[in-house]
Amino acid sequence: MVRNMTTNGGSQPVFCTIVPPHVLDRLARNEDPALSGPARRSLEHDAYQRTKRRLTTVIGAASAAPPAGAAADKPHRTVYDAGHTQDLPGTKVREEGSEPGSDATVNRAYAGLGATFELYLKVYGRHSIDDSGMPLDATVHFGENYDNAFWNGEQMVFGDGDDEIFLDFTIPVDVIGHELTHGVTQHTANLEYYGQSGALNESVSDVFGSLIKQYTLGQTAAEADWLIGAGLLAPRVTGTALRSMKAPGTAYDDDVLGKDPQPAKMEDYVRTGRDNGGVHINSGIPNHAFYLAATALGGYAWEKAGRIWYDVLTGGDLKEDALFADFATLTVKAARERYGTGDELQAVQKAWEQVGVRTL
Amino acid sequence: MRIRVRRTGGFAGIERRAEMDTSGRPDVEEWRSLAERALASGRDTPPAGVPDGFRYEITVDGRTVYAADPLLTEAQRELVSRVLKEGA
Repeated sequence: MVRNMTTNGGSQPVFCTIVPPHVLDRLARNEDPALSGPARRSLEHDAYQRTKRRLTTVIGAASAAPPAGAAADKPHRTVYDAGHTQDLPGTKVREEGSEPGSDATVNRAYAGLGATFELYLKVYGRHSIDDSGMPLDATVHFGENYDNAFWNGEQMVFGDGDDEIFLDFTIPVDVIGHELTHGVTQHTANLEYYGQSGALNESVSDVFGSLIKQYTLGQTAAEADWLIGAGLLAPRVTGTALRSMKAPGTAYDDDVLGKDPQPAKMEDYVRTGRDNGGVHINSGIPNHAFYLAATALGGYAWEKAGRIWYDVLTGGDLKEDALFADFATLTVKAARERYGTGDELQAVQKAWEQVGVRTL
Repeated sequence: MRIRVRRTGGFAGIERRAEMDTSGRPDVEEWRSLAERALASGRDTPPAGVPDGFRYEITVDGRTVYAADPLLTEAQRELVSRVLKEGA
């Protein structure tokens, strides 16, 4: 991370925004001023830059409406505080271009929304969730000790966790990316949230959530941890994260939480009526296929494997009730269309073969 | 009165369940009223819910209703939160 240090008009070091916001935020609260100083300045710097850009380009624009035209190249973020109630959206506490405040949760949500917007725009040319500059809204401090984060069809919602099992849900940037990607899916393939299509919906959110983390950290497929929700489990829980794309079923094994139930292969597909037909369980299979394809191709996972998955999600051929085999077949088609009959095609075909999903 | 709550789904996909028997408790009438209100606004089939939202099954003396975040009524919210906290 130190390699990304730069200067801010003087001798004081500043971490570039490539350092994930949650790392910055943690650093900013570090007792060691050598660590907290630069991180704080970087957070401030980031906010300053955004404010400046906003002031020079959208003066006069109505604050409630999304910036029109060229301004869609910038996010339009609003963070609300539910004040531990379950009333949405809550009180507005930070809007686009404003300075970070004293609430780390608000700042993390704001930065995570920015990181997600950035990956979709810079890598895939997508303008926000709906590709038309949709404002990004998030509510934090939802409920009391609320152990969850979700997408309600219009905005993201984050609980604080109970501190016994879960910490604050804004901590992992991949969780923020996961929730926003539910919005992207809703506006594209709109995969039905049940059974295999539901597990694909979940997997797509894990894939792009993980890619957002990798993109902000500047990690290659080989360097990434491929974990979803790392840093979210309270210290007393025996586990590293909620899901592992690299090794589904190994993220946690705890006397309270139980064992990570995710399968990595089709032969272990879990048939259940709970959790909408096991959408958070069976997503392990397509998750692992993505991991296998991305690591076989090497380099940055968002470039090729991510591009192929994005092509399928947004290409118009993916049906709302798609099965794993339908999705897999479309990734093969997308790999061939974009990259021809080379390594990319082979990597994708082999990945699905390894997890036991048939492609046509 | 036996009240059982099962919560499934959520970002983590981890199930939680708890049950309690209110008979003999000093606040039994309070529980009865809360349970009745929670059941009255419940659905007979699971609602679609939202991505990563919690799903709830509330069973009171053998009758089960379903609900999902973020559209719980106040009574349902209070009941599931109390049973998950105080139940076994």
